[in-house]
Amino acid sequence: MKIVDEIRLLTRGRDWRGRARTPRSAEPWRLPTEPREFPTRWARTPLARAAREGIRRGLLKPVTWSQTRPVVEGVEYLDTLQGPAIFIANHASHLDAPLILGSLPARYARTLAVGAAADYFFDARWRAVASALVFNAFPIERHGSRRMRSLAPTLLDKGWSLLLFPEGTRSQDGWMHTFRMGAAQLACSRGVPVVPIALRGTYSAMPRGRNWPRPGRPTVVVRYGRPLHPAEGEGTRAFNERLVTAVSRLWAEEEMGWYRSLRAEADGTLKLPTGPSGSSWRRIWEATRPLAEDQSDRIWP
Amino acid sequence: MSRPGFVLEVDERTPALLVHEGEGFRLERFPLGTRVVYPPESLPGIADVDAEIRRALLNPHGIEPLPELLFPGMRLTIVFDDLSLPLPQMRTPDIRQRVIEHVLELAARAGVDDVELLAANALHRRMTPAELKRTVGERVFRAFFPKHLRNHDAEDRANLVHLGTTAHGEDVEINRRAAESDLIVYVNITLTAMSGGPKSVAVGLASYKSLRHHHNVHTLRHSRSFNDPPNSAMHHSYNRMAALLEKHVKIFTIETTLNNDTFPSYVNFLNKREWEWTLADQARYLAVKRANDMAPPRLRRQMWQKTVAPYGVTGINAGLPSEVHPLTLANVHRQQLTEVNGQADIGIWGLPYICPYNVNSIMNPILVMSLGLGYFFNLYRNAPIVRKGGVGIFYHPMPNEFHPVHHPSYIDFFEEVLAETTDPVQIETKYEEQFATDPWYTHLYRSSYAYHGVHPFYMWYWGAHALEHLGDVIFVGADRATARRLGFRVASTLADALEMARDTVGSSPSITYLHAPPLVMADVR
Repeated sequence: MKIVDEIRLLTRGRDWRGRARTPRSAEPWRLPTEPREFPTRWARTPLARAAREGIRRGLLKPVTWSQTRPVVEGVEYLDTLQGPAIFIANHASHLDAPLILGSLPARYARTLAVGAAADYFFDARWRAVASALVFNAFPIERHGSRRMRSLAPTLLDKGWSLLLFPEGTRSQDGWMHTFRMGAAQLACSRGVPVVPIALRGTYSAMPRGRNWPRPGRPTVVVRYGRPLHPAEGEGTRAFNERLVTAVSRLWAEEEMGWYRSLRAEADGTLKLPTGPSGSSWRRIWEATRPLAEDQSDRIWP
Repeated sequence: MSRPGFVLEVDERTPALLVHEGEGFRLERFPLGTRVVYPPESLPGIADVDAEIRRALLNPHGIEPLPELLFPGMRLTIVFDDLSLPLPQMRTPDIRQRVIEHVLELAARAGVDDVELLAANALHRRMTPAELKRTVGERVFRAFFPKHLRNHDAEDRANLVHLGTTAHGEDVEINRRAAESDLIVYVNITLTAMSGGPKSVAVGLASYKSLRHHHNVHTLRHSRSFNDPPNSAMHHSYNRMAALLEKHVKIFTIETTLNNDTFPSYVNFLNKREWEWTLADQARYLAVKRANDMAPPRLRRQMWQKTVAPYGVTGINAGLPSEVHPLTLANVHRQQLTEVNGQADIGIWGLPYICPYNVNSIMNPILVMSLGLGYFFNLYRNAPIVRKGGVGIFYHPMPNEFHPVHHPSYIDFFEEVLAETTDPVQIETKYEEQFATDPWYTHLYRSSYAYHGVHPFYMWYWGAHALEHLGDVIFVGADRATARRLGFRVASTLADALEMARDTVGSSPSITYLHAPPLVMADVR
C-alpha cells in the first residue's frame, strides 16, 4: 500500500490532532481524562500583561461594546478601594468576563486574574493558552477530583485582584443559583474586600450554546455594588449570605430601582433572583425577557 | 487499574483497526456492526517477583513447603516448560530462571547433590544450548550444562519408563529420570488456559506412545475448546494420566502466569486500543509499518524473532498440580477472558508471526493452519465465536517456506500427505504411524533440532475441530497455491473475503473479530 493511502486510512475518523472519537460501545470503558496541570505563570509576566492590555483595549472591549449595549453603573464605588479585591458576580454567559473587564477601572482591569473552570478552560491546550493570555485566567477545580492546590490565595498575596463566579458555572436558565463558599472563605481568610456585581441581560444576549451575542446589540447591565469587608469575627457562611444579598439587591435594582431595592433589603422582603418556580421553559422565558427601556424620565417624549 | 475486556461494536466513529498478518500488520476498516473482542488491559505485574517466589515455595497448596521435601541424598529433578512458552519470549531474566534459582538455593541448603534439569519438550525440537541458557540463566547453565541440564528425549527407549495404563487404557510413559526421582519440581508458565496443571509432566515428559492417546483427531474434535479444561476431552485424558502419575512420583509444581504486555514499548501501539492512539503512536505505526514492509524478508523475520515481551508476572503459585492449577486458571482468565454475547456468522482472526513451534524459526503453512484453526479458533469458552457452518476469515501471507532443520517432516507432510488429502481422519489412519516411526525423522529429532516426525500431524489435528465446525475457511492475503494445498480459499482483501462468504452465510452476516494478540479468550454466552 502506498504511504499516502496508508496515511489516509490511518487518519480517517481522526481530527487534525490525531484524536479519534471513542466508539459508542467503548464509551463505558473510556480512560478517565485527568485535567492537565497548566502553568499560567507566564500569563502574568510583563510581556503577557502588555499583550493582554492591548487585547483588552484594542479588541475585547471594542468588540463586546459593539455587539452589545452595556449599561455600567456603580463603578464610582471602586474609587476609594485600595489594594487587591475579589470581584464576584452572577454568571450566565461567556459575555460576563469581557463585560466586567471592559467596565472596570484600568488599575483593576490590569491587575485582575479570572478564576476559570479547570475542566473546561484548561482541558485543551489552545483554550488554556487563550484563556490565560486574554483573561489572565487561572484554573479552578470545580469538582474537587484532583486536589489541585488553588492559585487564588497566592495571587491575592501577590497583589492580584480576582474575579470569581461563585455559582461555579454558567446558569442553565439565566437565574441565579447557590453561591459556593470559596470566595467568601478567601475574603475572610485574607481579609480582602469583596465587590459584588450583578449582570443582567447577558443570558438573553448570549446564553449557553451560543458563541457570539445575538444580533441587534442587546442591552446588558453591569452593576457594581459597594465593596464589602468581612467583619471582625464574621464567619464564612454569614459573609457568604451577605454577598448573596448584595448581588440579589443589585439584581433587583433593575426592576425596583435603587432606593426601593435598598428598602426591600432593609425590610427583609428582598427576594433572591432564583426565578419563577415551575417548568423550565417558564424560567427561561422570564430570564430572556428583554430589559425594559427606562422611559419614565425621558425629557423629550 | 486495568480496564476489563469488552466487545466493541464498529460504528461510524471507529477508526481503522489493527490486524496482525504474519510478520506484519495492517489497519482494516470493518463493516459497521462488526463486533470486536478486546482483551482486558494488561494487569499490573507483581512488583517483587523474588519475594513472591519465596512466599510460594514456603506456602504451597496441598503439600509441605519445599524445604521440607528436600533432603541429602535425594534425587531431585527440576523440569521446566520449553521454548514454546511464553510467546513471544520474555525479557530476561526469564521467570523460569528466577524460580529455578530459588529452588536450587533451597536444594543447596538442604544438601541435595543429585539434581537434574530437564526441558519438558516432549516431541518438540530440542532447545539449543543458547536457548537453554536464555531460559535458565547463566548461573544455572554454567553449573549444570551439558550433563545435568538436558532436553527430554522421547525416543530414548532406555530412558523412558512405562508407569501403567489408565482406566481408559491410556499408556503413561514418561522420562525415566523424572519418574524415578524422589521429587519432581515443575516450573511452568501458563500463557493460555490449555497449559499447565495435569499437562505439565504427563505431556511434557511423555513419549509418542503416551501422547497419541490424547493428541488425536477424535479427542481434539471433542475438546470444545482445548482452552477450557472442563470441556476438553484432551484435558480429561491428561487428568487420568496425571492421577496415575501421582501414585508413582511426587510432583511439586510452581505455576506462573503473565500479563498482556506482549509487545515492547517501541511498538506499544500494538497493545493499545486504536481510538486511543496518540499522534506519537500513529507516527510510530507508520514508521514501523513502512520499515517492516520494506525490510528484506530475512531481516524482517530476524527483527520479529528478536522481539521480546516485557511481560509482568501476575501470579506465582506452588504445590500439588491439582491444587495449584485452579488458581493459575483464575489468573489466566482474569487477564484474558472477555464475555461475548452469542455467536456470529463470520469469525475473523489476524494471525501473528509467532506460534509455539516457530520460536527462532519459520512459521510454515501447517503451523499457520494450526495457529489459526487450532490455537486462535479455540480461544473460547462455551461456544466458538462463530456458529457451526459459519465462515472463518484469517489474515496471514502463508508463504511456502519451511525451516529445513526444525521442520523436516513438515515438508514431507505438505508435499506428500496434503497433496493426497486434507481430511484429518484419513491423514491420521493412513499416514501417522509411518511418520511417527520413520527412523530418519527420529534420528533428526534426537540428534539435530528437528520436531518429531509425527508433529505436523498433531498440528493438523489441532485444527480438526475448526475444520469440522466451519463451513468455509478464507485466508486474506495468503499465497494462493499454498493455501489451496491446505484446502483453503484465498481473498486479496476483506471485502473480497466477505463477498466469497456470501455463498455460505448470506448477504448480511454478523461478524466477530477476535482482536489478538495480546491474547483474549472469548467467553461466549
